[in-house]
Amino acid sequence: MRIGQSQRFDQARPFVALGAVLAAWLVAPVALKEFARASFFEMTAPITVTASYASDLRRFWTLRLHSKEELIEAGRDQARLDASYSLAVQQNGELQAEVERLQGLLRMPPMEHFRFEHARVAQRDFSGWWQRMVIRKGRDYGIPEGAPVVYSGGVVGRVAEVRAYTSVVELISNPGLRIAAVVEGDTRPISYQGAENPVFGAAKGVVEFLPLDVYASATAPKRLATSGLGGVYPAGLTIGRIVHVEASADGLFKTGEVALDPRLAELTEVTVLVPSNPG
Amino acid sequence: MRGAAAVFLTLYLLRALVAEANSALSAAHVWLFAGGLYVAYSALVLPLRQGLSATLLAGLLCDAVAPVAFGTHAALFAAAHVGLFALRERVQRDEIAVRVAAALLVNLALFLALSSARLRLVPAEAAAWPRMLSDLICSEAVVALIAPWFFALQARTLELARVQPPRIG
Repeated sequence: MRIGQSQRFDQARPFVALGAVLAAWLVAPVALKEFARASFFEMTAPITVTASYASDLRRFWTLRLHSKEELIEAGRDQARLDASYSLAVQQNGELQAEVERLQGLLRMPPMEHFRFEHARVAQRDFSGWWQRMVIRKGRDYGIPEGAPVVYSGGVVGRVAEVRAYTSVVELISNPGLRIAAVVEGDTRPISYQGAENPVFGAAKGVVEFLPLDVYASATAPKRLATSGLGGVYPAGLTIGRIVHVEASADGLFKTGEVALDPRLAELTEVTVLVPSNPG
Repeated sequence: MRGAAAVFLTLYLLRALVAEANSALSAAHVWLFAGGLYVAYSALVLPLRQGLSATLLAGLLCDAVAPVAFGTHAALFAAAHVGLFALRERVQRDEIAVRVAAALLVNLALFLALSSARLRLVPAEAAAWPRMLSDLICSEAVVALIAPWFFALQARTLELARVQPPRIG
């Protein structure tokens, strides 16, 4: 009889242990869980950052294999680009001065200014469930949580977590991310959300609350940009292109499909827009 | 607890390798999940306390880098560990094929559990399933491919740590 009871307890022991662990976890204080999360994240960071530096070193040695002729050609192309960008910077300066003069005349509140913090991408994590990347700058460079992240093609996403010397960026293709957007040439705000991330294909997003008079198709796409509402992203940054619209179920608005830039999945460097006057 | 620490070290290495592979595959939108490998060896070979400790720590490591409630992976891994531990006397657990099959089954169960928890956040659930399916197929293939090497690595690490796993028989 006793042997039978002992055997039954032995069989139940793993489940009792699991129940005890889960119960202890449920009653553990939130501060302890947050501390554990940060500690475990920092435990993974050295490997992530080291692998990223090793990858940079490999790229450096690969570039060293290029011939001098190739470098001369690349330098010439770069000089041409620099010249056109110098002109654009001069024009931008004049436009900026004009904007400030008009703001002064109209007594408008000053526009938000950002400090550009360039950062290397250390690791990408693009599952069907989430789309994130780790960048090699964190609290050590004053990166704030929620800051917008951009690249030459437009919006990358926003900073979701800031750690000691790395940060996690949530991409615009992430299904959980929503942005207030506008269609180019229109001021009415609409809602953008990351959606499907098909295998071997570019990520997609969806737009909701599109006005009924907005039309777009794959042959005549419409550029989708940030609206500036919500206070996170500056206005006018490209999100993607609306390639399909259809009437929503209630018939009051349209919904649409947004094609995102395929370069989002291959980024090696991004820029974090750190607000100059946070708060 | 030297055995738990030794196995956790191998799981830490596994997480780093899988993360690097996922980073390299990101341009193709392919993502690998190796949850079954975090659980199989420690549940089939180690005593309950040592194996469960290593599995829980590995789960917390996965939780720290994923946008899920902290403890989700740990709870799922622990549940899978306990389930497998309870069944281990009924299977030929010293056979490598059995260990690989266990890793594949656990991987499938964990993937589906995490998918069902995350899918509610996706705006078009039906459109997300083909991606989930392709990720699952790739993950199972990779787990089947690397499981024998990884189990050998775990056994060798235990030897180096001078931990003698209990005799199977």
